[in-house]
Amino acid sequence: MFQMHKFEEPLKTDLEELLGRFQRTNSVRYEDFSSIWRDMHFDEIFYGTKNQLEQSEFSRMALSAATPYFLPPYSFQIRVGGLYMLYALYHTQRSFPPRRIRMALKDWGDVQAFTQDALNSQHHDVLYILHQLLTIKAFRFTAMQVPLTFSRDQKPVIPEAEVVAEQSSRPKKLVTTEMLEEMANIHEHYKQLKTSVSAKHPEASLNLVRQNLVPKLFNAVVDFSTWQNSQMAGDKDGQPASYEEEPSTSSSLNQQMESSKRAELLASIKSRSYGQVVEVTKSRRHRQGEVCGDTTAGPCEDPGPQLDPARVSLLRRRRRQLNSLKCRTLSCLNETGKQTFLHTFYTVLCLGV
Amino acid sequence: MAESSADETGGENIPRFEPNYLNSQVIHVESFRKLWLDALPPDLYSYETNPEEVEDAKLAELLELPIETLNELKDICSVNSLRSHPDDSPVDQNVVPSDPKLACLRLRKRRQDYRETLVRDTIGRHENYSNELESAHKGLLPEDPTSVIPEGEIILSFNIIYPVIFDRFKHVRAHQTLQVLGSQKLTELRDAICCVGDLQVFGEFSNIPDATPQYISKDHFKSAFFYFEGVFYNDMRYPECRDISETIREWAKTHGFPEYKTAKMEDTTFYELRMKIGYPYYYCHQGDCEHVMVLTDIRLIHPDDCRDRTLYPLLTHKHRVITRKCCVCHLYISRWITTNDRLAPMDPCLFCDKCFRMFHYDAKGNKLYDFQAYVYVDPGVFN
Ligand SMILES: [Zn+2]
Ligand SMILES: [Zn+2]
Repeated sequence: MFQMHKFEEPLKTDLEELLGRFQRTNSVRYEDFSSIWRDMHFDEIFYGTKNQLEQSEFSRMALSAATPYFLPPYSFQIRVGGLYMLYALYHTQRSFPPRRIRMALKDWGDVQAFTQDALNSQHHDVLYILHQLLTIKAFRFTAMQVPLTFSRDQKPVIPEAEVVAEQSSRPKKLVTTEMLEEMANIHEHYKQLKTSVSAKHPEASLNLVRQNLVPKLFNAVVDFSTWQNSQMAGDKDGQPASYEEEPSTSSSLNQQMESSKRAELLASIKSRSYGQVVEVTKSRRHRQGEVCGDTTAGPCEDPGPQLDPARVSLLRRRRRQLNSLKCRTLSCLNETGKQTFLHTFYTVLCLGV
Repeated sequence: MAESSADETGGENIPRFEPNYLNSQVIHVESFRKLWLDALPPDLYSYETNPEEVEDAKLAELLELPIETLNELKDICSVNSLRSHPDDSPVDQNVVPSDPKLACLRLRKRRQDYRETLVRDTIGRHENYSNELESAHKGLLPEDPTSVIPEGEIILSFNIIYPVIFDRFKHVRAHQTLQVLGSQKLTELRDAICCVGDLQVFGEFSNIPDATPQYISKDHFKSAFFYFEGVFYNDMRYPECRDISETIREWAKTHGFPEYKTAKMEDTTFYELRMKIGYPYYYCHQGDCEHVMVLTDIRLIHPDDCRDRTLYPLLTHKHRVITRKCCVCHLYISRWITTNDRLAPMDPCLFCDKCFRMFHYDAKGNKLYDFQAYVYVDPGVFN
């Protein structure tokens, strides 16, 4: 019973494997789901739990881990898979009385909208399963998805989907047109001040001012998002494509940039199911150097100190395979003396903008 | 609380994380309840479960399906569809299957194999106990029908953390969990919190060990307060109660804090509160016995829950505290603590009642030498 939390990661791995296989069927039929479930012997996940407490605790963890996939921002198909997973886990759990599924108030509207979608498309199996869970009172109607204890070891509860979504949009959100204008003004002002000081003290140099700061920052963000989109597009095909293919052409890049949030999030589900990314990064190290060097953008899911440290560590944990890539790229860029996204940001922070 | 208006609408009472992803924003408990009740058809939170035929008929109508088609659907979606082992080849569910593919099972198998190497299975006895507390009252109905909690009532869960007395225990964060109803008064929770601080007996009794008074500190010092979101809720039920938050409020005033409000614990129900879920608040009694308390959960009552109003606040978890045994027999729980006791192995020293008397008094009950003795209340008395 000790250290039940060690099951958190394996649970995620198993659920995402199941969901990944369901996703590849491009189906929302319960029959397709249950055949994958049986094929994986997923009901066995509860086997070997020793006593009532362990059974109860493991059920709680499994239901809690599956719940987010039933909710936005995941696509309809994934959410159907999430619902089927909840149904299946609920009915195969060994805990008695059964652990219930926690439904947070803020998510209920989304469940209603989901029901309406299923009704409009006449997905009878989806509606039956949801109806069945509701009538047997499988849900508890709560305030938050999990109880919150504020204890020393409580990790921030950040939905993975949100991590992925924020990861892609944060730099863009941060570097807006107004922000760039404002920064250009301040930069100009700073330069003038610097010049007036140097006039009085000729020994002081203007080297402290970074030339073309604003255009460079802008380019860095554009490059970063281009790089990121190509990463996402690679994941999306279910293959570590970005490492295997030549850098994408600009027209396909545009398409990829338009790739919806949905696709990015699906990628997040898959990213863990396809463990080969790690192997490929080892065998194709040189390729990454090329890709990253060309775009001049730091392929960092963690663009510096403006991120909440807790979140950064979470990202590090989740996407370890990309971190080593980041380190390599940074060192590679530093060698060539190119301006990196990170550098720019540190500069911005130093200027106090 | 005057400013808690029940007519509040909109999203502000839908609990969401604050940017720290550790606690929710401030919500008004009653408004939260109302939002849920407005959003749910009563069927979904009632204690009753409709018969399957009724529900089937309802669904068939909703889906505009003939009942035969619905039955086919039920067949496809039946729980049997989830069994990877056919019924005629039963498996032992207590054992991890050999050569498992699932990551969870591989981890559990490693543990199972390790456990088999142990001579004695020492795992988690006291944790079993704490779980019994929770399931003991499952779905319990009161004998008196007027004590049934109405459907749609709110249950709040509080973790009340024991004060850190010993530095070396500060990482344990021992706590008790109490479930309380939204319609209950704050004083009902206060009376349910068990803390040894309330059981202390004051005075030195080495000369009159048989004369320890029956009064405990709970009877002497009745003042206490909760602190939630800028308001001190004082227990003012008895004439001798004082507003013991005054010192803090006065201090805060001179140190640039915003002014804190006060309210009466006995006049306030949990419905009226505005609180953050998962945020540390404060309970103080006996003048300086301070407990951090966290509202860990708020939810609608479920058929699983105990429905007997009189059993709330309901203790659902209690940390088993290690009891301190007598230093002579190492067998019984200590009842006395002595100081300046030159024959004792340590100072202060703990004794059970029997050893204490044999060690310090002659057959006629005369004190054998000079020492001081105080009544000791072990934190384990609540186990
Ligand atoms: Zn206390
Ligand atoms: Zn003894």
